[in-house]
Formats: sequence, structure tokens, C-alpha cells
Amino acid sequence: MPVDEVIPYARPLTPSARLGESAAKAQATFRAAARRKKWMNLLVIHVALVCICAGFILPLAWMISTSLKTNKEAMLFPPKMVPIPPNWKSYPNVINHERVDFPLFARNTVIVAGLAVVGTTFVSAFVAYGFAKVKFRGRGLLFAMMLSTMMIPFPVIMVSQFLLFRWLDVHTPIQFLGTFKPLWLPWWFGTAFNIFLLRQFFMSIPDELSEAARIDGCSDFGIFWRIILPLARPALACVALFTFMHHWNDFLGPLIYLQDPQQYTLALGLQQLQGTQGATTEWNILMAGSVLVVLPVIVLFFLTQRTFIQGIATTGLK
Amino acid sequence: MKWISRAILFLMLLGGAALLAFGPRPNAHVPPGRLVLSYWEKWTGPDADAMRQIVDDFNNTVGAEKGLYVRMISLANVQHKTLAATAAGVPPDIAGLWTAQLVQYALRGALTPLDDMARERGIDPAKYKPVYWDICSYEGKLSALPTTPAVVALHYNKRFFYEAADKLYAAGLDPTRPPQTLQEFDRYAKLLDVPIPGTNRLARAGYFTMDTGWYIMYSQVWFGGGAWDTKTQKYTLLRPENIAAYEWVASYSKRMGSEAFMDFKSGLGGFASPTNPFLSGAVAMVQQGPWMGNYAASYNPDMSQVIVPFALEPFLPRVVRPFNYEWAVAAFPSAVMGDAGKDVSYNETDILVIPRGAKHPRESFEFLAYVQRPEVMEKLGKLTGKHSVLKKNSDNWLYTHRNPYVDVFDRLAASPNAAAIDQTPIYSEGLNEIDLASQQIYLLQKTPVEALTEAQQRLDARLARYHEQRALRGAK
Amino acid sequence: MSKQTGGSAARAGTTEWGDIGKGLFFLSPWMFGFLLFTMTPIIMTVYFSLSEYSVLEPPVYVGLQNYRDLLSDKWFGNAMLNTAQYAAMALPGGLLVSLGLALLLNQPIRGQAAYRTIIFLPSLVPVTASSMIWLWLFNTKLGLLNFGLAKIGLPAVGWLTNPSVALPALAFMSLWGVGYTVVIYLAGLQDVPKELYEAAEIDGATGLRRLWNVTIPMISPVIFFNLIMAIIGVFRVFEMPYIMTNGGPARATQFIAMYVYDNSFLYVRMGYASAMALIQLLIVLALTGIAFWSSSRWVHYQGK
Repeated sequence: MPVDEVIPYARPLTPSARLGESAAKAQATFRAAARRKKWMNLLVIHVALVCICAGFILPLAWMISTSLKTNKEAMLFPPKMVPIPPNWKSYPNVINHERVDFPLFARNTVIVAGLAVVGTTFVSAFVAYGFAKVKFRGRGLLFAMMLSTMMIPFPVIMVSQFLLFRWLDVHTPIQFLGTFKPLWLPWWFGTAFNIFLLRQFFMSIPDELSEAARIDGCSDFGIFWRIILPLARPALACVALFTFMHHWNDFLGPLIYLQDPQQYTLALGLQQLQGTQGATTEWNILMAGSVLVVLPVIVLFFLTQRTFIQGIATTGLK
Repeated sequence: MKWISRAILFLMLLGGAALLAFGPRPNAHVPPGRLVLSYWEKWTGPDADAMRQIVDDFNNTVGAEKGLYVRMISLANVQHKTLAATAAGVPPDIAGLWTAQLVQYALRGALTPLDDMARERGIDPAKYKPVYWDICSYEGKLSALPTTPAVVALHYNKRFFYEAADKLYAAGLDPTRPPQTLQEFDRYAKLLDVPIPGTNRLARAGYFTMDTGWYIMYSQVWFGGGAWDTKTQKYTLLRPENIAAYEWVASYSKRMGSEAFMDFKSGLGGFASPTNPFLSGAVAMVQQGPWMGNYAASYNPDMSQVIVPFALEPFLPRVVRPFNYEWAVAAFPSAVMGDAGKDVSYNETDILVIPRGAKHPRESFEFLAYVQRPEVMEKLGKLTGKHSVLKKNSDNWLYTHRNPYVDVFDRLAASPNAAAIDQTPIYSEGLNEIDLASQQIYLLQKTPVEALTEAQQRLDARLARYHEQRALRGAK
Repeated sequence: MSKQTGGSAARAGTTEWGDIGKGLFFLSPWMFGFLLFTMTPIIMTVYFSLSEYSVLEPPVYVGLQNYRDLLSDKWFGNAMLNTAQYAAMALPGGLLVSLGLALLLNQPIRGQAAYRTIIFLPSLVPVTASSMIWLWLFNTKLGLLNFGLAKIGLPAVGWLTNPSVALPALAFMSLWGVGYTVVIYLAGLQDVPKELYEAAEIDGATGLRRLWNVTIPMISPVIFFNLIMAIIGVFRVFEMPYIMTNGGPARATQFIAMYVYDNSFLYVRMGYASAMALIQLLIVLALTGIAFWSSSRWVHYQGK
């Protein structure tokens, strides 16, 4: 199955262990001159990395700095790098914004993301079990098909998906457009990316475990439910995390499916802080809003770093 | 460490759950027992605030009587969402759009016709300035009702005129009045330029095409041209008047050189801010509408209140009032000689529509009709600082209006030479093409004839295709 | 292998088909979802691409007219070209930068974890937010970038207002989000067996030669994978131009996804937009095909 092999398999990243190991090796093998050269190399690497990291962190720092300015300070040129004293008011101002109801949008986002996470985590695991642990003819073909759907960018099928929901609105009693359903319902049928990630994980669970249970008279669903799912907790967490992030960040989906401004999600709401024709953009407010949208994601990342990085590395996707 | 991150994670989950349980919900603050009518308004900022007051008035009076409650939401770009929402079958009850969108919506049957309801409520077309009433109908069907109008006029800085008085007098021009013809305008513009010594760059431009550049696509109006011929229903970009108009646009870029032009452009500040080029003194003459008065008052108050502060202005004799302002408004000069070149203006208006498929058209019309009442219209005009779509307004209104030049706008809109937005079936494509052509022209990437020829060809093809598909639909 | 499925295959009655019933049972949610939310829309796209359709009125069949119009549609070509140009700038840049970063971050040095986190952080930022941040950085008058230029005595650049600068500016901005790619490279680099480096050292290969002869071939599958994903990802670029430039100036940053969006949801020309979407779909499928086909040809696999 070549499909499979395009994907790099990853091991956990354990920087500290590797550091000790190779440092020891260096000491063992190189003479003093080589050591001096190595030291110079290290210095160069550090300097390069510090410069690059400064560049990477600068936009974020600038976002925070602007969010703590008054609108007047934000409009200064040359700009003030560090706002002293900080103007914390931008934050309450963005939360109580007259037009953009941030708390309402946050609630909408949580509803959509929550529903999608709950559905996709379970269903994707269910399907992944089929791909990983049940042998049958045509499985490879179906798996390849699934992988190729993963490659279809959403903008390519957005028009037709919209029209599909419109058709369903007219021909079924359920209303889809103008509700949150188009955003989470498709996730309740499993999503290719999540199925793939879980399948990779399930493959690594030895078959002996399930065979033992089978001999005890356990059905396949029982094996899935009682053995595989508990073992796969880290992978499930990873799927839940990615799904949550996807919905937190998604802009285009809500843009085409949500019509009533009371249903907007945070990503859409943030754009609303941009001034329109005839209205100024209050950059400090806009940046405070950006901080509020970015912050949960970054906190979540720090809390779940390992799960996260392993997830990306295993799938090599996103 | 582990338990800390667990605890934070748990708190985040709790936060999410709390948001779900106790967070804000849509349709909060609606009095019980009222029928909620959703109203999406494209304006944000002061114009939306003004409309919100009218909505509140309605909810407290007519709405309370008839059991209606208009819930207004103003969001950027909501005017783009209305068509998609109508296509999705979930439109708002009322939508605030621009006339630019009317034809596109009307053609696709996306709007509820208002003729019958308007007749029933005694809304009389004769009471409106024709230029505004006419653009609310398409193919004989009334599809919208106007609210706050827009008209483009020359805004000029009187102080800069006086500063350049010597030069202007020497050239035989009068610094105490605005230019009357376009030829004169060009001479004024040149003399009002303030170059940076020793360079070909400008510290101040007498006139700059690209501030804000919104109306550059309508330059043909000042030359008696037009992009669209209503009679033949064809685009007419290549009329000699139009070509002359864009030659005129290009002449300003050429005068500066395209590089200095881009430089100058990028040095200009935001529109609605203290760095607005007209308000900060980077440009002496601009094409703008009544809203400029609001920005002048809030972003550069020193440009007004020359004699007395705003608070004391009502005590000034009417004739003296204009002297309280450094800036003034006049008809944008036209290249056309004679009567046809007098008080030329370009007009649009904000409109209210009821999208097709909205569930309560009759109830929604109550609100539309309410806004049309003369006293409500006057209040709206006062709040927004704009003139009125109605022909007659009380004298008191005219003289206590916060825009000192509202009479000029009123006159321009009522003028026989008031031009309105084109009603073409492919308006957005048309606008995009003309916009692009004008960009290519002012950036000196193409000559007007080249750019307009290309745009004309594409629009002809697009229009032909449009008619072809219409015919197919008709044959069915 | 045969042992593990032996029991169940016997129950199913045929070894040839395996547990087809059970397999389909587990796959059924995905298959249903696939048919409903992927296949049906694609079939609908084919149908609607042959008609004039505004949703507000019933569709009218127009044959291949939409496709013919696409051929002469200057803006479609322009959007395709912009997308391709962006790809031509962002892809090599992104691949090189992320590979370089991964190599640096793979060095056994103190503070490695902190460096990695910092490089990765920006790729977590929602595109909406990063577009806002960069809109502010790129601001001609007040932006930090022009401030930096002014400091070293260079004139201000109209990052997003100058037609010839805007697209490269967006490509430059995309480099900020290379974190994901870097992580994938890092994962690949960890899989390169240490013995190979040691062997290379014994042969006297150092520095660049070692990189060229050992590292690059060993992680070629990862490079290739990232390349294909990046190419496909270009069709996804929407938020950035939509929020930052709205396709301007002079349509210099109108990407294909935006043009489809405009046609379908602003002009409600769903039929025409469907034709565009279908063409894109074909391109994406072709790319996916190339990815799978060529991965077995020029990419080196270790071990298995």
C-alpha cells in the first residue's frame, strides 16, 4: 500500500534525552580542537535561532503591545514599542463592543465546535476500527478513496455543498441553511483526517489483545468499545483537539453557512471589528479581539503540547 | 505540573460549559408578545447609530401599538450576505442596502414588490426628489424605499484658497469663490499645489484623484458622459465624453508622474480619521458627500468654529454661518458649457427592502412606511448630517441642520442635471470593470482608450450572454 | 496475519471476501457521509456547471456555455495566475525555510524545546487573527514594517496597496506559519538512523555533503509529501486575501477560491461557479494522483 508510505511515521520528540546522548558522544570522540570548533558552531546556531525566533515572535508581541495602547497611541508614527502605562480598557471594550457581541459569538463557536468534537471523535474511531482491525476485500481501495477526499480543499466543494443543503432544505422537513447544522453535521459521519489519524494509532495496538477478548466471546463492537477505545485515549484527545481547533479557526464555513449576524462565530466576529467604509479601524480594539481569539488556542497548546505535536507528526498533515 | 495543566484544562472546559449555560443568547431584550422583525443594516458607526434611534422610536410608538419589534443588527458587509441569505431561504425581514445592489436583487426576483403596499399607505412619489425615487424602482416595479441620500459635490478648503490668493489673482482667478468650470478647476488645482522644494513631489495637492477615489468611476458625469445608456440598454464606455473624462483623470497622474503619485497616495491617511487628507490639509479640493461635514466636526474641529464654537452657532445670522467654516461645498464643476453644465451631481441613496421569502412582509412594511414620514425623515437627516430624499423640508430643518451646506446638497440633488447610479442588469460586473479600467488609467498602466475598449468588450460579451440566458429562461 | 482473522473469516463463510459485512458495518457512517457530503455535491457540481443557476430561480440548462465563458474570462485566468504565482513564491520559500529551520532545530542544543515552541506558535494562530495582525504590520502609514524600513533609511513600501508588491507580501507573510511543516520535517529527521551519519563521518563527509548525501535523500518522502500538500493547500487560500486586500489592488491578489466565492455568493452565479469548482477539482485530483504515483518512484524509503 504505497498510499500509506507517503506518510512519515514519527516517534515522540524527546529533546532532552537526545541532548545528553549526543553530548556524551561528542566528548568521547572528539579532540579538544574539534571541541572548540563545535563550540563556535553552537554559538552560530544559537545566534541564528535567537534572531529567527525574534522574527517569529515579533508579530505576536506587536499584537499584544497594540492591544494595550489607546487608539491615539496606536496611531502614532514612529510607533511606541512598549505602551506604558498599559491601557487595559481595550479588553472590556471589545467584550462589550456595541456591534460585535463577542460573548455571543464565543457561545456560538463553543456550540459548533462542541457538537463537532463529540460526534467526530466517536464516529471517526468507529470507522477507524473498521479500517484498522477488520480485514476484508476492498478495504485498501476504500482507504485510498478516503485519503484522496482528505486532499480536496473545502473551497472546491463549498458551492456544491451549499446547494446540497439548499436542496435538502426544500425537499426535507429539516432546515439546514441559516442554522449551525451544516457546520457540524458532516462531522458526525467521521472525517477523513481523524479516521486516518486514529487508524494509524489503532494499527499500533497489538492484535493479541483483541484476539484474547474474542476468545472470551466478545463481539467486534465490544472489542472496539472495551479494549481499543480505552487504549486509544491519547489519540482520541488528539482528534478532539484538532477538531476543536479547526472549528475555532474556521472562517469560510461559517461565512457561507451562517447568515444571521446573531449566529456568527468568533472568526467571523473578529473580521467585523475591521472598520468599514466611513468608519475607522480601531487597531487597539481589533488587536485586543485578536488576542482573545488567539489566547485559548495557545493555552490549549501549552497544556496539550505532546499530544498535539505527536498528532501532527503522525499524520504529517494539516 | 501535570495536575496544574489538568486543572487549567478543566477550568477551560468549565468556562465553555458556563458560556453555554449562562452565556448571552440571540434575541435577548425583546419585549414579550411582540413579533420580532429582523433588520440587517449595512452601515456601521454613526449612520447605524442614527438609524438605531429611529428603530427605537418605532419600537416605542407604532411598534408597541401594533405588537411589532424591529431588531436591528448592523454589521460590516451584511449587504453582501443578504443575497446569499435570500438564496439560502433565510433572509432577514428588512434589509438596508445601497441602490447599487437593487437591480441585481430585483432581477433575480429577490425582492418583494412594494407598489401595492406603498399605494395603500399613501406614499406619494411626487413628494420625493425624482433622482432618488426613480432609482428605487426597476422595470416599473417599486422594490425599495429610500432613506438617507448621498450626493457628490466639491469640497474645498477656503483657507488654502486665501493662502494662494496672490497666485490665483495673478492668473486671473478669484480666490473667494470655487471654480465654476472644469477648465478653471484644473487651473485652481495647479496653483493650489504646494511642492516640496527641490523635488517633483508634493506636500499638498490642489486636487488628487485618488482621495478617496470612490467616485473616480463616475468621472464621466462631469463631462456630460455616461457609462450606460438606458434607452438602448447598452454600455457606452467609449463615448467621447467618457474618454475625455478619463483623459482628465490620467492628466493628474501624469502631472505628478506615476511614482510620485503612488508615493503621495500611500502617504495619505485613513478616510474616517484625523489623518484624512482633506482634513489634515494634504489636499485642497476633494469630491465628497454630506458625511464630510461630520468628519470635519469630529476629526478636525479647528477647521470649523472659526468665529464661534458649535454651541453658539445657532445664534449666528444665517448669512454669516458659512464664515464659521474653513471648508465649503459647491457643485463639482462640469466641463459642459451652458445649462447642462450647471449643478451637475452624482447621486445614490440608502434603501430599505423586504427580501423575497421574508416571513412578514406586511408587518415589515409598517417600519418602512414609518421611516418615510416627513418628520422621521427630518430626524434621520439631522442625525446623519445628510440632506433629504423628500422635495420639501421645513425651513427650520434646513437652517438648524448640523451640516452648514445642507442647502447646497439639497439643491444639487434636486437639480435637473442630477445624475443617478446606472441601473444595469449586470451592475456589479459593470462596476468592477469600470473600477479596474479607472485604476489602470490613473496608474498610467493603460491609456483611457485602451482600458475602456477592453472593459467595453468584456461588458458587451457579458451583457449578450446575460440576455441569451434570460431568453432561454423566458422560453421555458 | 491469517491467524488473527482466521476465526472470523470462518464465521463469515468465505476467506476471499474476509469480513466484508462487519467491515462495511464499521465503515458505514463514513461511507454514508462520503456519499452524501462529498459524492453528491460533486455530481451536483457537474449538473449545475451545465446550467445557469441563481438558486432564486430554477436552473436553466445551457450546455457547455459556462466552460466556454471560463476560457475567455480574463478574471478567471487572472485568479488562476495569481494562485500559481503565489504558489511559485510561497512553496519554494516555505519548503526551504521550513527545512532550514528543522535542521537548525534538530541540533542538539540547550533551549531546543523553547526554540521549537516559538517557531511553532504562529502556526496556531487562526488565519483570521493572523490576517488582522499582518494587516497592521503591513499598514503603509503606521505599520511596523515600514517603520523598520524608515529606521534603515528606506522609503515606505505600499505592502498591500502596490499591485506589484501585494502578492509577494502575502507570500512572505505565509512564511510565518511554517511551524506545522517544520514539525513534520523534525519528525522525519528523527527517523534518519544515526548509523548513517556515523558511516558518513568515517567516510570523511561533513557539513553540506552530509546534508546532501544523507539527510536529504533520507527525508525525501517527507519533502515530497509536504510539497504536494502545499500545492493542494494553495487552493485553500481564502481568508488572507479576503480579509486583507479583498482581492485588490487591481485584482492582484484575487485567488481562485475568492473568485469562486464572489461568483457564487456575491453574484449568485452558482452554475458558473460550479464549472470553476469542477476544473479545480480535476486539478486537485490530478495532483493527488501524481502524489501517489510518483511517491513510489523517486522517493527513497528506508526499512520497510
